[in-house]
Amino acid sequence: MSKEMTIHLKYWKQNGPNDTGHFEEYTLDNVNEHMSFLEMLDVLNEELMLEDKEPVEFDYDCREGICGSCNLVINGQAHGPKQRVAVCQLHMRNYNDGDHVTIEPPRAAAFPVIKDLVVDRSSFDRIIEAGGYVSVKTGSAVEANAIPIEKEKSDAAFDYATCIGCGACVAACPNASASLFTGAKIAHLNKLPQGEVERSNRVVAMVEQMEEEGFGDCSNFAECEAVCPVGISISAIAEMRKDYMKAVVSGE
Amino acid sequence: MPSLIKALNSQVGRKFMTGITGIGLMLFLIGHLAGNLTIFGESQAFNVYTHTLESLGPLLYVIEAGLVFFFLYHAILGISIWRQKKKARPEGYDTYQTKGGPSHQSLASRSMIISGTVLLVFLVFHIMHFKYGLFSPDEGTVILESAGGVEARDLRALVIAEFQNPLIAFGYIAVMALAILHLAHGAWSAFTSLGMKHGETSKKVQLGAYIFAIVLMLGFIFIPLYIFLTGGEGSLIAY
Amino acid sequence: MKFDSKVPGGPLEEKWDKHLKDINLVSPNNKRKYEIIVVGTGLAGGAAAASFAELGYNVRSFCIQDSARRAHSIAAQGGINAAKNYPNDGDSIWRLFYDTIKGGDYRSRESNVYRLSQVSNEIIDQAVAQGVPFAREYGGNLANRSFGGAQVSRTFYARGQTGQQLLLGAYQAMMRQVHKGNIKYHPRHEMLDVVVIDGQARGIITRDLVSGELCRYEADAVVLATGGYGNVFYLSTNAKNSNVTAAWRAHKRGAAFANPCYVQVHPTCIPVSGDYQSKLTLMSESLRNDGRVWVPKEKEDDRHPNEIPEEERYYYLEERYPAFGNLVPRDVASRNAKMVCDDGLGVGETGLAVYLDFRDAIDRDGKDAISAKYGNLFDMYENITGENPYERPMRIYPAVHYTMGGLWVDYNLETTIPGLYAAGEANFSDHGANRLGASALMQGLSDGYFVLPYTIGDYLAKQEPGKRYGTDHDAFQEAENEAQAQIDKLLNIDGNRTIVDFHRTLGKIVWDKIGIARNEEGLKQAIEEIRELREEFWQNVKVPGEKNNYNKYLEFAGRVADFFELAELMAEDALNREESAGCHLREEYQTDEGEALRNDEEYSYVSAWEYKGLNGKLEETLHKENLEFEFVELKQRSYK
Ligand SMILES: Cc1cc2nc3c(=O)[nH]c(=O)nc-3n(C[C@H](O)[C@H](O)[C@H](O)COP(=O)(O)OP(=O)(O)OC[C@H]3O[C@@H](n4cnc5c(N)ncnc54)[C@H](O)[C@@H]3O)c2cc1C
Ligand code: HEM
Ligand code: SF4
Ligand code: FES
Repeated sequence: MSKEMTIHLKYWKQNGPNDTGHFEEYTLDNVNEHMSFLEMLDVLNEELMLEDKEPVEFDYDCREGICGSCNLVINGQAHGPKQRVAVCQLHMRNYNDGDHVTIEPPRAAAFPVIKDLVVDRSSFDRIIEAGGYVSVKTGSAVEANAIPIEKEKSDAAFDYATCIGCGACVAACPNASASLFTGAKIAHLNKLPQGEVERSNRVVAMVEQMEEEGFGDCSNFAECEAVCPVGISISAIAEMRKDYMKAVVSGE
Repeated sequence: MPSLIKALNSQVGRKFMTGITGIGLMLFLIGHLAGNLTIFGESQAFNVYTHTLESLGPLLYVIEAGLVFFFLYHAILGISIWRQKKKARPEGYDTYQTKGGPSHQSLASRSMIISGTVLLVFLVFHIMHFKYGLFSPDEGTVILESAGGVEARDLRALVIAEFQNPLIAFGYIAVMALAILHLAHGAWSAFTSLGMKHGETSKKVQLGAYIFAIVLMLGFIFIPLYIFLTGGEGSLIAY
Repeated sequence: MKFDSKVPGGPLEEKWDKHLKDINLVSPNNKRKYEIIVVGTGLAGGAAAASFAELGYNVRSFCIQDSARRAHSIAAQGGINAAKNYPNDGDSIWRLFYDTIKGGDYRSRESNVYRLSQVSNEIIDQAVAQGVPFAREYGGNLANRSFGGAQVSRTFYARGQTGQQLLLGAYQAMMRQVHKGNIKYHPRHEMLDVVVIDGQARGIITRDLVSGELCRYEADAVVLATGGYGNVFYLSTNAKNSNVTAAWRAHKRGAAFANPCYVQVHPTCIPVSGDYQSKLTLMSESLRNDGRVWVPKEKEDDRHPNEIPEEERYYYLEERYPAFGNLVPRDVASRNAKMVCDDGLGVGETGLAVYLDFRDAIDRDGKDAISAKYGNLFDMYENITGENPYERPMRIYPAVHYTMGGLWVDYNLETTIPGLYAAGEANFSDHGANRLGASALMQGLSDGYFVLPYTIGDYLAKQEPGKRYGTDHDAFQEAENEAQAQIDKLLNIDGNRTIVDFHRTLGKIVWDKIGIARNEEGLKQAIEEIRELREEFWQNVKVPGEKNNYNKYLEFAGRVADFFELAELMAEDALNREESAGCHLREEYQTDEGEALRNDEEYSYVSAWEYKGLNGKLEETLHKENLEFEFVELKQRSYK
């Protein structure tokens, strides 16, 4: 039979972007080990509502670790204690009876808080907008097999393309840098022949946008790789840097 | 395309230049240590070395200016990166911890700004101390036979005398220990900033960085420590 | 209400080309004068918005999530079909068409399905050009696999993340147009109503989910690409924000809703573990290639599965369907799992699960070979359940996965409201009574990239360019007032049951009585129970928080309110359809062997429901679009 636990929660409440925010505490009994972390928060909210208190807002959608909506910082770790797991896929069996759990939103100037644990990540959209695409119009594509791509190359591009855009890398980075996210998209597209043509413009535009959004510089802490739910390697950042310097030097 | 200046000022460019200047400074430190170790050479070797440097004339100024430029550029970049970090996360976490695994967060990487700032302050003191001979009685002069009998500052005597002062000797040692921290992360990080990928090579470079930092700095530490412990009369020092 | 499917005449192969020749075009200069609203940024909406903008139209795009990239399509795992015939195994546009019609149990429109197969190839070209990293062979060409029981390998895939990669392709194309200013982008906006003026769709009302403000947007045409309604079951494999609100409110404004009772249940999902469960996770169907499905022969046998000897195991699929065994289609596998559990043979704490056992496969091929094929799925299973599937059989159970029903559309994807289009899972087209694996992604992208960009031009060309009624128009005012009134009402009830509680209870009714198997008595009960619960919902629901702030529970309350109405229509539709077809199994209409029994004489039609009102009970009128099969012959499916 499944284990039940008591968990002491401390979570961030902030009524809007201009509110200063504070922590609230609540002790949940009967936390089932099979619950996901977000289901535990659902249960918390059910109890709060029945006690006529305000539920705590948090972002989620797929609950399968793929949409990138969820992004809580739990006891100081983005997506909680396990590596390569998004918080929606984190299960309570990773906790023990009586544990104290602090939940905070990702904190970064470029991710302003909307409410409680929900933040505005539109800065990520704008980074993609700056150049994270291949300029091909619908209908103008060539036959799919016209350009063969080595399997290794395609697999390598895929490894970067799996980024779910959750922002954990920013949350965990001591500098609040978005280099892993930005680098992953640049590396994905620049590695493929389809993305080759625009590689220089892409990297320059995306790096500029990333800076404009107010993210920090990358000091090579590699904490982003440790918290990334899909394990994007900081090689993405190296690729971005090389492509950027190449673009500048060649002046293309 | 952005102008070169703008590019070097971008987040990628800034790190690229911290890496370049960092590597430049590390190369300088290797040379500096090699020079310093002549103190254990034949009796006037150290003075010959310092004298040769001083007699480079205008060339020395160029080298010095280059060094100062590298140093300041590096320091300014380091400080600006640190300041941007404060701006990028105005409100910190209540609780924060690393997830380990591939993370390079460590005492070394998190204290770059502290170790760097100490190095900066130290350097100013160090130059005033040995280059301009401030804070200490006038050093004497020596006649350098091997350099054709010229008269030069007896910096060797100064060094040996100064390092018998525990405050100075251990002050230097402490700074060098901090420099180990700076380089343990720095010597790996610089290559990453220049585009080295993460993987097997990178692991080796990280290990190399630790070894390099420790060996280099033990070299620097050895001099004051030896002089202090032996009262300047140890057998490695020839008179 | 008039139902003209507008299917062009002529031979099947030429219909689409002929149609393209016949439809009106909008001149490039005029395109700038038209504005199109696209609600939804999944594969269908994302592809449509990007393509419209590339053509030169002004586009406004809306989605609920904080970014277009997070639409539910992101979660699709298995792959996307196309008739490329790269493996040279005899595939063709005709075969893909035929499989889709047959898979849909002859309840879809031939012309639409044929067009879908025709454009399927272009989708792959388009995706590859966008940089979608599909799986490749060592030679550098694209790889294919067979999927969902198809006899040819026509599925393109990107590891287990095909939906993600395709969606990112569409999202990126969209963001490119946002950058150019051709798309105005409104994430975190929920559409609450369509505005109809003089019988034409002229705009929408949305709620800005951050500020809580209601907003009005006017346009020349509106596209709903708002996904499926699987979440009416509360537990499903759909993303938590998937909902029927946009489609339902359009329905209430006059768009017919087609085949609401056609719901696909996926046989291999991780079973429910407790009341707190918020959603179900799909495990790829490919697991059935090597896993054997069984339950203990004895009821309430609570021995460890590995201790149950071979002769006391009931391999029910292998026994009942010797030819296909564990690889029977989704609906057959799901139905049988439910049957054995209803007989009390189910396993696990809840008794609602069957074993999917890899013991024999591991003995045969070795653990490494199995791990190479399914390693990531096994890890996922272990992460969720805490059990190691290499050592203990997986427990699986069917879960709601896809809804074939949706807004009725004609060949142009236009609903019964002129100027209102529906695309992707939100419409009813193409899949009939059952969808084949890897065909939803194909349909969404086909609608968005290759159908709507043409057909919407045909409509716009007939509209006066730049004509505006202004958002002060009474119709906008009225729609906004109604939306506001509902929000106020929900917040003011202040009852003592939570929204989740109501939704879960509703879901249970729908699952038990309008789920895998239905019967007249159950459906009639369901209708009563739904009405009662809906009544209670409006008296006793507790919605927290404020209307002028971010308020997720308020959003959910509105969606649950719509599910309550839809659920009744689903039951009504299932009750009306006195036959079994595809995923719709009426227990009264089965062969002696328990197989679905179609009634082509009387039910070879699309049920299109017209909303008439809601007075304690839902009032709807049924319209029938007869399905003519000119090109294929109707056959009874058999997997024996
Ligand atoms: C787990 C899983 C795996 C699957 N695997 C496959 C597979 O391998 N192959 C395959 O072919 N199919 C698969 N499917 C099915 C397929 O993913 C979906 O049918 C398809 O992605 C639907 O796409 P869509 O564009 O129609 O809608 P969605 O992707 O659901 O997008 C709906 C959009 O509408 C928006 N929206 C909804 N309501 C509103 C509103 N009121 N106001 C504003 N915006 C709104 C949402 O924000 C979202 O942007 C799978 C489905 C699931 C659940
Ligand atoms: C002999 C002197 C020095 C050497 C050899 C040295 C070496 C290095 C190296 C190799 C790096 C890594 C560069 C990179 O990550 O790309 C580095 C980083 C850094 N250095 Fe120095 N450094 C020296 C002096 C200083 C000084 C005086 C400061 C003054 C503040 C300083 C501050 C920093 C900081 C803050 C970083 C980290 C930059 C970041 O966060 O990205 N360093 N140093
Ligand atoms: S790189 Fe990893 S951590 Fe960063 S946004 Fe992408 S998936 Fe999230
Ligand atoms: S909710 Fe989608 S990744 Fe967590």
